[in-house]
Amino acid sequence: MEIDGEEEEFGFSRNYFLAKDLASSGKKSTQKLSDIDLVDEQELRAAASNIEPKHEKEIVSLMNSYKSLYSRWVFELGCGFGLLMYGFGSKKALLEDFASTALAESSVVVINGYLQSINIKQVVIMLAEVLWDQFKSKRKTPSRSLPKAQQPFNSRSMDDLLAFLDGSEVKDNDCFVCVVIHNIDGPGLRDPETQQYLARIASCSHVRMIASIDHVNAPLSWDKKMVHTQFNWYWHHVPTFAPYNVEGMFFPLILAHGSSAQSAKTAAIVLQSLTPNAQSVFKILAEYQLSHPEEEGMPVDNLYASARERFLVSSQVTLNSHLTEFKDHELVKMRRHSDGQDCLCIPLASEALEKLLSEMNQ
Amino acid sequence: MAPSAAVDDSPFASSPETTENHLQPFFVLHKACSRKAERVSTVPVKTRRRIDLCPSPPSAEKPEVESVTEDDEIGYMNLRTESFEIVWTKIESTIKDVLRNINANVFNEIHQWVCESFSTIRSFGELTFREATQAFPIVSHASSKQLFTGLVLTKNMEFVDDLLTFKELGRHLKSQGCHVANLSSLDFMAKSGIGGCLRSLLRQFLAAPLDAADISILASWYREQGNCDNPVVVIVDDIERCCGSVLSDFILMFSEWSLKVPVILIMGVTTTLDAPRNILPSNVLQCLCPYKFTLGTPTERMDAVIEAVLVKQCSGFSVSHKVALFMRNYFVRQDGTLTSFIRALKIACVQHFSMEPLSFILKGLFLEEDGQGLQEELLPQAIFKHAFDLPSYGRYKIEEQKFESFGHCLSELKRLQSQWSTVVLCLYEAGKGDQIRLLDLLCEALDPATYNCRISDRRTKVEKDPTGSSNDSWHQQYPLSRRDHFICQAIRKVRDLPGAQLYKLLKRWEELTVDIIEIHEKLKELKSLVKVENGRSSKQDMANSFKRHSSRSQLNIVKESKALNEKAATLIECMVGDYMQPVECLPLHEIVCFQNVEKLQLALIGDPRRRIQVDLLESYKILRCSCCSRSGHSLLPSMHDTSILYNLAQEHGDHINLHDWYQSFKSKVLSSRSKGKHKSKQSPLPKKRKDTNEPDKPCEASIQARFCRAATELQITGLIRMPTKRRPDYVQRVAFGL
Repeated sequence: MEIDGEEEEFGFSRNYFLAKDLASSGKKSTQKLSDIDLVDEQELRAAASNIEPKHEKEIVSLMNSYKSLYSRWVFELGCGFGLLMYGFGSKKALLEDFASTALAESSVVVINGYLQSINIKQVVIMLAEVLWDQFKSKRKTPSRSLPKAQQPFNSRSMDDLLAFLDGSEVKDNDCFVCVVIHNIDGPGLRDPETQQYLARIASCSHVRMIASIDHVNAPLSWDKKMVHTQFNWYWHHVPTFAPYNVEGMFFPLILAHGSSAQSAKTAAIVLQSLTPNAQSVFKILAEYQLSHPEEEGMPVDNLYASARERFLVSSQVTLNSHLTEFKDHELVKMRRHSDGQDCLCIPLASEALEKLLSEMNQ
Repeated sequence: MAPSAAVDDSPFASSPETTENHLQPFFVLHKACSRKAERVSTVPVKTRRRIDLCPSPPSAEKPEVESVTEDDEIGYMNLRTESFEIVWTKIESTIKDVLRNINANVFNEIHQWVCESFSTIRSFGELTFREATQAFPIVSHASSKQLFTGLVLTKNMEFVDDLLTFKELGRHLKSQGCHVANLSSLDFMAKSGIGGCLRSLLRQFLAAPLDAADISILASWYREQGNCDNPVVVIVDDIERCCGSVLSDFILMFSEWSLKVPVILIMGVTTTLDAPRNILPSNVLQCLCPYKFTLGTPTERMDAVIEAVLVKQCSGFSVSHKVALFMRNYFVRQDGTLTSFIRALKIACVQHFSMEPLSFILKGLFLEEDGQGLQEELLPQAIFKHAFDLPSYGRYKIEEQKFESFGHCLSELKRLQSQWSTVVLCLYEAGKGDQIRLLDLLCEALDPATYNCRISDRRTKVEKDPTGSSNDSWHQQYPLSRRDHFICQAIRKVRDLPGAQLYKLLKRWEELTVDIIEIHEKLKELKSLVKVENGRSSKQDMANSFKRHSSRSQLNIVKESKALNEKAATLIECMVGDYMQPVECLPLHEIVCFQNVEKLQLALIGDPRRRIQVDLLESYKILRCSCCSRSGHSLLPSMHDTSILYNLAQEHGDHINLHDWYQSFKSKVLSSRSKGKHKSKQSPLPKKRKDTNEPDKPCEASIQARFCRAATELQITGLIRMPTKRRPDYVQRVAFGL
């Protein structure tokens, strides 16, 4: 076993250096993405939504094969473990199917971790409300055993809410809320503070947690305390090979981004919304950059002088307001020149810039 | 984005309202159904039958097994769930007791110190009513500004294991009448500042949510309601993980208020006593009046837990050799925390009860006092049949005909198990002086291979020399293989033990072996011999100091005591040979013993980094489709797009040129349809348009879209990083090798 481990380690480093070697051996390709005849982004998106699925039948039977495991999963949940699903493919449908067929007897709250921002406090408030409803429906005389009903959940502190979920107010071990978290490693939940809160939620006695991860490094966001005592994960490898339609919704398409045509186009759209004077200032900058391709950028003073000459700005203040606008839209970048002067440059390749100028002159 | 057809057609299809839910950060999927929820684990699922009654060995008698009615099955499932709960509760409470006992001495010591410190604080003088009700601190003595601080050395870098210890310490002190609050390093974060820990203190002491975090509230609480007769103890788990500045503010504040709120601090230290000096400034250190306490080491705790749970078998549940080995390696090499060891044990237990149909017998067998096994007539034939199909039972029946009844077999199992544990404990006692860990001993004692080889060797010897009484032939009689490393070491230790210690050891063995009468008798005999010897030798020692002895009698004494050691060693070897039968060699052990190490490993240590890559590299193995599985290692266009793309990425260095990657993807995807007719990248647009008219040829846009989606999916799995501004034409590979 020891030898295995060492070999594995060795294999890993060897692979890494091989890859590094491959990159530096001079064979590195310098082909540009722009050499591909890229289709328009809209067309690309349209095509992306109509991709012909592969292995449909096999995916369905794979999903169905997991159904036979549902009873075991329920058993494990009941034993106090959190279920953590991993493996390639979207597990959203699988998890929700499991929750709605096998966990019908308890309330289920779903968190979509793949979304960009999630307010964890709101989640906890909802959990508390759902649990409260469950208590109320189970007992006919809640007044005695359920204190503090008068205080609404959304005015309570996080600690109070967690204490409520942990059952310090109500002793009833049969009553719990299941939390299904899609992509617990997703962008909306990835930060350490949220993970701490999720761990605390998971350790509450009235909460059962089922989560999925997709990122290979997801476990790095948890320390031993979280893994062993709070989440208490029970790992399940359930590759589904289902497309990440929803999860990938907010990712930019790799071929639609970074191409010169695309960024020139977005720049043009932004410029159209600016005042004619601002556009002209931008034009001065663009022309300067095209005529001095070897320089790091146009010094701010130069730009001010030329803009003033053409009666585009009357003072440094007006120029600055234009520049702020440009910077906000990432049309212009400020750089420190080697001689200490502040320089402005447009982060576009020269061909893109030419295209942009020609569009502006039309 | 519309869900693709694959999702739509499946039973997991998303209806319009669920599509709306995709964009909600969170939503209620459904509320608890009105039917009175019993317990989740009793939800009947149609497919249960298939998985429940067919554990790993595929049995030919499947039809008979399935003749059990559905009701029965659910009944047995419930029975197993119930047994699991009983068994695990038993194990858990045993572990808790063991840990509490280990810490009992330290806890008492700490309590005594708390009481002494409190009386010292009170001796600084009583406050007048006016002083006491003022909302600011009072300082009379210089020494009264000092905070009594107990530094508890945990001797363990893994603070996880000590969380429970400090919780227990809090409970212990509370039971002695102290006011106790447990704070963790999370309360001492720079972000929330001193307010965070104060709020947490107020929550714990006043048991009511408060918005204002003010120490004067704490002071007035302490003054009221007769609280002031008891000390206030604040326990901080692990000071090394706290934010230094917040902790020092906390200490300074309480040192000023020490007359009004006599706080006694207890802080966990994982490294050395220097730790407070490293994180606190000197003016804060002056406020501390430290005392040192030391907890037991993690290995001590580990051995105690193993002794109680796996050797003495508080619940009857046991693990196979391979599982024990895995758990040991996981503890020693990977995780190193007792917490994770217990977690592994729990997962093993859960898997045992969810996979082994007969596991419910455990409850009746070991935990119920009257448990004369179980009533056979209550078991339906099918279950019975299953028991007789267990491989171990079959094996045993062929070997020895006497175990014909199921119940007899079970009680025999129980008896042999307890003998095994007795011998292991004896070995552990013997090896204690040599720092032999029980975990290592356990792994050897559970190994069926070495046992079998001991047995077969011995059989041949016994046939030659049936008396086996001569002392010289011991090592031929019970040959211990090289794999018995720790067992041999323990026995060697017995041979080298000085008289007094040997006597002690024998006494201990005598206590342990009460249930094995013949060994018990032999031990008594041996002990009396040692006693006599001991007495004589001590007399002679005295005599020695007065006059010199002849060297011959010295030699005699040495010889005699050596002979006794030899006898003891032979005895323990006999015990190892005769009574230490690993659980896997016993009939019907499948009922009590968990064996599936692979499943345990999968559930305990998910390995997403490796497994997700394997999913992608060998997708056809999981999808089991007819189209791709014949390929072996070559890529086929029918494979999953992301799988193709990731396979292609393996050929690149740490940066992948997007253009090349796309071209190779495109040629792979198109390869079967137009062999050798690769489209060059400069191919003019009109020609392409013409191509798209062919019905089966994917158009450029769709290939690009597929490429994009595959790249996005790789990005979601974290296997590649998107192009940066600096390198717009390259994606970065993140994972190298599995």
